[in-house]
Amino acid sequence: MNFVQRDLAEGVRLHLCETEKFKTLNCKIFIQQNLEKQTATSTALIPLLLRRGSGKFPSTLEIAKELENLYAANFSSDVLKIGERQILELHYQMIDSSLLPEGDTLLERGLETFWDIITNPAGSTEAFIDSYYKQEKQSLKQDLEGLVNEKRSYAIKRAIETMCANEPFGIYKYGEPATLENLKNEDVRLHYGNLLSSCPMDIFLVGRDLDRVAEFIGGLVEKRESKQKLKLPQNVENPEEKVMEENMNMQQAVLIMGYRTNCTYLDDDYYDLVVGNGILGGFAHSKLFMNVREKASLAYYVGSNLEGTKGILLINAGINGDQKEQAMEIIREQISKMKAGEITEHELEQTKQGLISSANAAQDSPAAFIDRNLIGLVNGQLRDSAQVIEAIRNVRKEGVIKAMERLSLDTTYILSPNGQED
Amino acid sequence: MEQIKTPTGEIIYKDNLQNGLTVFLLPKPGFLRTYAVLSTKYGSIDSSFKAFGKDVVNVPPGIAHFLEHKLFEEEEGNVFERFASFGASVNAFTSHTQTSYLFATIEDWQKALVQLIEFVNKPYLTEDNVEKEKGIIEQELRMYEDHPDQRLHTSVLENLYYQNPVRLDIGGTVESVNQITVDDLLLCYRNFYQPGNMALAIVGAIDPTEALQIIKDNYPEWEHYNGTIERVHPEEPAKVQNSWVEEKLQISRPRYLVGFKHDPIWQGEDLLRQQIIMGLVWRLITGRGSKYFTQLYDANLVDNSFGASFSGDMRFAYSMIGSDTDEPERLHGELTKIINGLKAEKLEPAQVERLKRQLYGRHIASYDSFEYVANRYITHHFDNAPYHLFLDMVQNISPSDLQDAIVNLLDWERSTVSILRPVSFSE
Repeated sequence: MNFVQRDLAEGVRLHLCETEKFKTLNCKIFIQQNLEKQTATSTALIPLLLRRGSGKFPSTLEIAKELENLYAANFSSDVLKIGERQILELHYQMIDSSLLPEGDTLLERGLETFWDIITNPAGSTEAFIDSYYKQEKQSLKQDLEGLVNEKRSYAIKRAIETMCANEPFGIYKYGEPATLENLKNEDVRLHYGNLLSSCPMDIFLVGRDLDRVAEFIGGLVEKRESKQKLKLPQNVENPEEKVMEENMNMQQAVLIMGYRTNCTYLDDDYYDLVVGNGILGGFAHSKLFMNVREKASLAYYVGSNLEGTKGILLINAGINGDQKEQAMEIIREQISKMKAGEITEHELEQTKQGLISSANAAQDSPAAFIDRNLIGLVNGQLRDSAQVIEAIRNVRKEGVIKAMERLSLDTTYILSPNGQED
Repeated sequence: MEQIKTPTGEIIYKDNLQNGLTVFLLPKPGFLRTYAVLSTKYGSIDSSFKAFGKDVVNVPPGIAHFLEHKLFEEEEGNVFERFASFGASVNAFTSHTQTSYLFATIEDWQKALVQLIEFVNKPYLTEDNVEKEKGIIEQELRMYEDHPDQRLHTSVLENLYYQNPVRLDIGGTVESVNQITVDDLLLCYRNFYQPGNMALAIVGAIDPTEALQIIKDNYPEWEHYNGTIERVHPEEPAKVQNSWVEEKLQISRPRYLVGFKHDPIWQGEDLLRQQIIMGLVWRLITGRGSKYFTQLYDANLVDNSFGASFSGDMRFAYSMIGSDTDEPERLHGELTKIINGLKAEKLEPAQVERLKRQLYGRHIASYDSFEYVANRYITHHFDNAPYHLFLDMVQNISPSDLQDAIVNLLDWERSTVSILRPVSFSE
């Protein structure tokens, strides 16, 4: 199972995966731009506004009714951040025509609906309907203020802001309240127009009868001209170590440790790092889970995540506030041990197996099979599952040790209970 | 093996083994993954029962969940590692009524299946490893305490019910977990993990004949109690314990949730039918295609967190609806008007038809999710309900069924409102 690529227009690529495996047709569109303070918040409003109405379906209610009539067709949209890019995601899914009581007639109608929602938002080409704009601006404001409600993701966000205070990566994917405050309806509409007409757009399709679908979509995509220049992130080699602690009225502390990897997706030894992160904290058999949770009983969750485009490895753990020193010590010790070569053949093999399994498993879900291309899109180098699996197979212990040696601790962030019961 | 045709035209193979275990097998040609789940009909609410069919015992809350953690312990090595050695992943979860152990794998599903059966049937409990687990569970419970939705949900259940153990957190409390002993754990294990009280479902790249043979060859002989399980249900008054409660937490804006207490009068097919009906009722009010959603959203009384659910079993049944909101009292007033209005006026047949269409599409698509299908078949099997007839049952539901449910079940006299309010930084 693989994608076949076609160019549709300047900066618009179509990626087709014809398969009868699934009961649905899936279409995901990704529009990329540089992550920048001014535009990040603007982009974050778009998913909220698109679902409010389109030319043909001028309200949320009308859109929802049409999607219900299409037997639970689904439109969703979100903003992603990969490396120092902000990506607008537009997703449409519907049941394959062959499984519907009304069969074929719904396919074109569904695709037209999707296209109307994304290219023809309710309002004019200069502005969204103002009452919608005001409401969704308020809604994004509440979402941004509501980040404190989920302690773990709040702590991760704060750690990254601290770590990358002077880099675009420090910008939150949904922007920030201060910029939002001054945004005008017309600015956002203009920005969306630019995204549609001049930013790189990748359209992924997974399902049956794709020639017909591709032809139909090809007829909808308009000619475009200019093309935005996209940048890749800068590396920070020898960071100054930062420590930050914040307090909240809560039960459990969250500990985040952010490392610079000095190695990214485009480096030859990238998969050494991927395997190294897996051994350290990517799985339930990993060193962090085994030592912080199973042996020391310090945490319910503990693990590490790799951001392979920017080159950041982030460890996070939910712990008792009194035991943070102990937890940090065990975490540092596990990394030192890996640098010193304490990696068993067994750990190496089971981690490689685990990573290969996830690469394969993505082929069983249309959304996951599409999403696995995102890192390649951003880095300008798509790799299919077979290439990734081959690269993971070839990783040796020596490579993993070298990758771990290049890790340098940048930021330790702790969100602690303020020890006060309400 | 019995063959059951699904609404998507696939075949599920079902068998009841001699030892009492029920097996569901759904082969998925063309897929690489296999997902399996082995469940016991034993959850957090089973804390009072006749031990080995004889004397009634009461055990501390939180045992089902504690056992779920402990079955991963082995005398030598570790269950996570054994699955990881060939790239498989293993996990488990506990609900009010069920404990489930699962794996997903690309390689060697046969080996994974043998290992799943083995570790669930081989508890290794010592004073030391039980003590050690208490620290991990305590951190898990604290994590939930910081989670606003979890807090609100628990608060509604605590106040809807007086006695029913569904009012307690699935994991118990830090205090109750600390009381749990090796003997308590073994007692519950030996009562509830008998094969007759369990079911196994596998969906994926399997050959059903081979899978069944592996299960038969490897399922160990059960050496403990093998008889009727008698659960003791405490008397539960019809009325609610508290009708309005408020709490503070460090959150950005208030959250509102109202729960309705229902009499648990449904079993088997009736229960599944009721679940479908209430699912449609809640979509009628909270769905994006609902004029009520639009009305409340435009009045800034709900946001995208607006949602509702129905939970039903032979021993409890309740519904909940809520949202984040700046004005909980006003939202309560408007919801009251909407629900009371729906009791009085006729429902639009066209709208109900659209909701049924949507349910049709969702149901068909759900067969692409191995996890969802496997878990549905097991849960409805424990409820004695014919899940494969789901779409036929949807077809036979009429607008008046929805209206009856609204009139009979959404009774404000038997409701609890819970509000979570933000605590300021200085408090």
